[in-house]
Amino acid sequence: MSDIQIIESVLEQATTRRRWQRAWRALWLGLLIGGLVWFAALGTYKLFPVPPALLPMAGLLMAIFMMAGFLAGWWQKATLPETARWLDSRQQLQERLSTALELEASGRSSEWRRLVTADAARHAGQVDARRLLPYGLPKASRWTLLVLALSAGLGFVPEYRSKAYLQKQREAEVIRDTGRALAGLTRRSLERRPPVLEPTRRTLEAVAELGDKLGKVQLTRNEALRNLASATERLKEQVKDLAQNPSFKSLERAARNPGTSGAASSAELQKQIAALQKSLANQPSDTGALDQFKKDLQKVKEAAAGLPNESSAGSEAARNELSKALADLARRAQEMGLTLPSLEEAIAALSASRIDQLLRDLDVAAVDLEKIKALAEALGKLQLQWEKIGKDLAEQLEKGQAEIAASRLYKMAEQLRSGNLPQEQAQKLMDEVSRAIDPASKYGKVAEYLKQGLKQMQQGQRTAAAQSLAEAAKELERLLQELGDCQALLASLSALQRAQMCIGNCQGWGQCQGPPRVGQGGKPGRGVGTWADDNDWMIPEITERWDNAGLERPDMAPRGLTDRGSGQLADNLAPTKLKGQMNPGGPMPSTTLKGVSIKGLSKVDFKEIATAAQSEAQSAISQEQVPRAYQGAVRDYFDDLKE
Amino acid sequence: METEEQIQAFRRTYTALRSEIGQVIVGHEPIVEGTLTALFAGGHVLLEGVPGLGKTLLVRALSQVLDLSFNRIQFTPDLMPADILGTNMVMETPGGRREFQYQRGPIFAHLILADEINRATPKTQSALLEAMQEHSVTAGGEIRKLAEPFFVFATQNPIDQEGTYPLPEAQLDRFFFKLLVTYPSGAELTEVLTRTTEGRRAEIKRVLDGAAMLEWQDLVRQVPVASHVKDYAVRLVLATHPKTNTAAPMANQYLRYGSSPRGGQALLLAGKVRALAQGRFNVSLDDVQAVVHPALRHRLIVNFEAEAEGVTTDQIIDQIVKDVPRDAAVAA
Repeated sequence: MSDIQIIESVLEQATTRRRWQRAWRALWLGLLIGGLVWFAALGTYKLFPVPPALLPMAGLLMAIFMMAGFLAGWWQKATLPETARWLDSRQQLQERLSTALELEASGRSSEWRRLVTADAARHAGQVDARRLLPYGLPKASRWTLLVLALSAGLGFVPEYRSKAYLQKQREAEVIRDTGRALAGLTRRSLERRPPVLEPTRRTLEAVAELGDKLGKVQLTRNEALRNLASATERLKEQVKDLAQNPSFKSLERAARNPGTSGAASSAELQKQIAALQKSLANQPSDTGALDQFKKDLQKVKEAAAGLPNESSAGSEAARNELSKALADLARRAQEMGLTLPSLEEAIAALSASRIDQLLRDLDVAAVDLEKIKALAEALGKLQLQWEKIGKDLAEQLEKGQAEIAASRLYKMAEQLRSGNLPQEQAQKLMDEVSRAIDPASKYGKVAEYLKQGLKQMQQGQRTAAAQSLAEAAKELERLLQELGDCQALLASLSALQRAQMCIGNCQGWGQCQGPPRVGQGGKPGRGVGTWADDNDWMIPEITERWDNAGLERPDMAPRGLTDRGSGQLADNLAPTKLKGQMNPGGPMPSTTLKGVSIKGLSKVDFKEIATAAQSEAQSAISQEQVPRAYQGAVRDYFDDLKE
Repeated sequence: METEEQIQAFRRTYTALRSEIGQVIVGHEPIVEGTLTALFAGGHVLLEGVPGLGKTLLVRALSQVLDLSFNRIQFTPDLMPADILGTNMVMETPGGRREFQYQRGPIFAHLILADEINRATPKTQSALLEAMQEHSVTAGGEIRKLAEPFFVFATQNPIDQEGTYPLPEAQLDRFFFKLLVTYPSGAELTEVLTRTTEGRRAEIKRVLDGAAMLEWQDLVRQVPVASHVKDYAVRLVLATHPKTNTAAPMANQYLRYGSSPRGGQALLLAGKVRALAQGRFNVSLDDVQAVVHPALRHRLIVNFEAEAEGVTTDQIIDQIVKDVPRDAAVAA
C-alpha cells in the first residue's frame, strides 16, 4: 500500500465515522430541541387553556426535529481534504495530511511531494479513527434526558384551568353534543319520512345544517342560542302557516286515537272479529267473569296442593271441602258456558285420591282458562276498535279517519269502474257520498270532488264519478301528508326547544328533557308570575284538551268567578311596598328562570319595557287573572315602576 | 545533495547557529530565533529595546558566527546619506590626473548593523530604502549591486525619544521582523553577570558562509504550503485592514492602516523557516501563528484612540488571532 493510499484509507475511515457521529449528535440535538419544544408546549398546556391538539403537534414536531437532525447530520458528508484538515487539527499533525493530500492532488512530481507524503503517511498510521471518534452518547443526550424526565414529571401535574374556562369548555361541549343530537334527530326524521312539501324539506334540512354547525363550528353560548332562536322562529312561522288548515284538528285527533289510525277498514275488522268469535265458539267473552273464575280456580289449586295425607286427622274433611269447591266450580263453568274438560277429570282424580293427577288437571284447566281469556280480550279490543271506526264515509270523515275514508273512496271508485254495479248499490253509494259532503267541507277540495262525483253518478257517468272519488281520496291523502309534515316540523321545533334548553341550562342532550310540557291537568293559567307556553296554539293535542265544551262535571263546582271576599290577607302575606332607586346604567334586577337565559345587554328602552309590562298587568287584572288580594299590589308595583 | 539531506543539514546548521550564539547571548530565545528566521528568509530585522539588553551584542555575535562581512553604522542626527551609501571623491590617478572616484560607504557589507537608527533624520534613514529592498545602491548616477546575502539589523531605543525621528512607514515595512528585546529573567541576568565578569570571553566559531546562506534561503522557499495555510495568512493580513469587510472588530476600532502584502510574505517565509527548523516538510497553521507578532507588529499603524488608550499593536494582533479562525472549513 502506497503512502497516499495509507493516508486516504485513514481519511475514508475517519470520514465515515465522522459522518455517523455527526448524524448521531445531530439526532440528539434535534431530540433536545424537540424535547424543549415539547416541554414548552406541555408547560403552556398545563398553565394556559390552549387546545389539547397542541401536544400531539409538539410531539410530532419533536419527531420531525429528531429526524431532521439525523438527516442533516448524515447529509453533510465531509470530503477527504476536509477530513484531513480536521484530523490535522484534532491530532496536532501540523497540517501534514492536508498538505500531502493537496500535493498529491496537484499531480506535480517532486522530491518535496514524496517527503511530505511519506511524513504524512507515517503520522496517519498512528491515527486510530475508532479511538478518535468513539460512538457514545453526546453531551446533548444528558440535557435531552433531563428535559424528557422533566416533561414526564410535568405530565403528572394537573392542568390549571379557571372556572370560567371550564364553564366555557362545558358550554362548548354541550353545544357540540346538542348540535350533533339535533342534526341526527332531524336527519333520521327526514330519512324515515321525507317531507312532501318543499318548504318543509328545506326547513328541516336547515335545522339539520344548524345542528351540524353547532356540532362542528366553535360557537359561543350566545351565538348558539341566537341561531337556535332564529331557527325556532322560522319554524314557528311555518308551522303556524300549516296549522291554519282546519282539517288538521280532526285529522290529528283521529291520528291520536288508537285503533283508528290504520288503514284497516270496517269490513276487515269485522272479518277479524268473526274469526275470533269462531275460535271462542260458545265460550264466554266476559273477561271480568273469567278473571273471577280464574281466581277461584287458583284458590282450589292452592287448597289441593296443601291437602293433608289420608292418614292424618282432618284429611277427610279437607277432601270433602275441596270436592265441594270443585263441584261448585264445575257448576259455575257450566252456567257460564265454559268448556273445561280437565275440571271434570280433576274431580274424578280427587275422588280416586290421585292428588298428583288432580294438580295436573287443575294446571291444564288454568291454562285453558287463560287462553279463553286472551281470546276474549282480543275480541273485546277489536269490537271496541270496530265501534270507533266510522261505519260509512260520512262518519269516517266526521271522525277524521282520513286514511280509512280514502280507502273507502278508492273502493267506491273501483266499484263504479267495474261497470256491473247494480242500481240498488249505486243508489246506496250515492246516498253515502251525499251524506259525506257536509263533513267533507273541512277537508279542502274533498267536498267539491264528492259533489262532483255525486252529480256525475246522478247523471250516470260512473267512470267520471269514479275519477272524482279517486281525486277526493288523493286530496285526503295529500292532507294526511301535510299533517305528517306539520308533525315533523313540530317534532323538529320540539327538538330545537330542547336544544335551546340544553344550551341554556348547560346540560347534555340526554340530561335535558326539553321544555316542560303541559300535563294532564290542562293548560296552566296565564297571568303574572306564570310562564305560559306560547306555542300551545300550534299543538293540537293541547288545543283538544281545552275543548271542554258541553262537558259537565257535577262533582266539581266551577270556581273561576266565585266571590272570595274583600281580599283580606294574612299579616305575613301582606305585600310590603319598598321604594326602590333606579340608577341609570346600573344593573337591571333579574330573576333566574328555568329555561332559556339570555345574557347580554338589553337594547330596548327601560320605559318601553315598563309600559309594556304595565299594560300587560292591567290586562291580567281586568281579566281577573290576578287574585283580588294581589291586584292592588300589582297595580301599585307597576305604577311605581313607570315613575 | 538530496532534499532530505539538505533539510537535515539545514536543521544541523540552524542548531549550530543557535548554539554558537547562545554562548554569547543568554536567554532571549525568541529574539535569537526571530533573528535566525529572518536571516534564512532573507529579511531585515528591527530590534527594539531599552539600552543594555544585548541588541548590538546579538548582531555582533551573528556577524562572528556567519562568515560574512560586517559593518556597523552608528546613526546620529548629523549622519548624512552619503555617509552610509558612499560618495564620489576627487582622486589623483597615477598619471597625475584628477578624477571622480566612487568611494563605497559602510552599506557595502553583507551584514549591516544600523545602531539606533531612529536617531538619524528621515532623509538619512531613507537612504536605506533602496538598499534594503533592491539590494543595490544608486550613487553618482550608477546602480551598484550590494553583495549577497545582504542583511540590515537595525536597533532602536523606545525611551529617550528626544531628538529622535520615528522611522517612516515605508522604512518599517521593509523590515522582515520587528523584535522586541525585553528584560532578562533573574536566572538569565545571573548568567549574564557570570559570563561577563568572570573567566575569559567566549570564542565563537564561524558556522556559515554567504554561499551556504544563499542555498538555505533557496531551500526555504521550496517548502510547500497548503492552500488553507496560505488562506489563513491572507485572512490574518486582511483582518488588519480597517474599514473593510474582512477587518477584525479591533482593527476597525484601533487601526489607521493595516499590514501591507509584505506582512503576508513575512508570515509564510518565516513559517517555512520554522517548519524546517523543526524538521517538518510543510508549513503548519501553528508556524504562521507563531510568527504573526514579529511579522506584523511594525506594519500596523494605530490611530489616536489606540494611542490614547495605550493599546499596542501586539494587543491588537492577539485579538485578531483570536477572531480569525485557523481553518474556516474545520471551524464550520
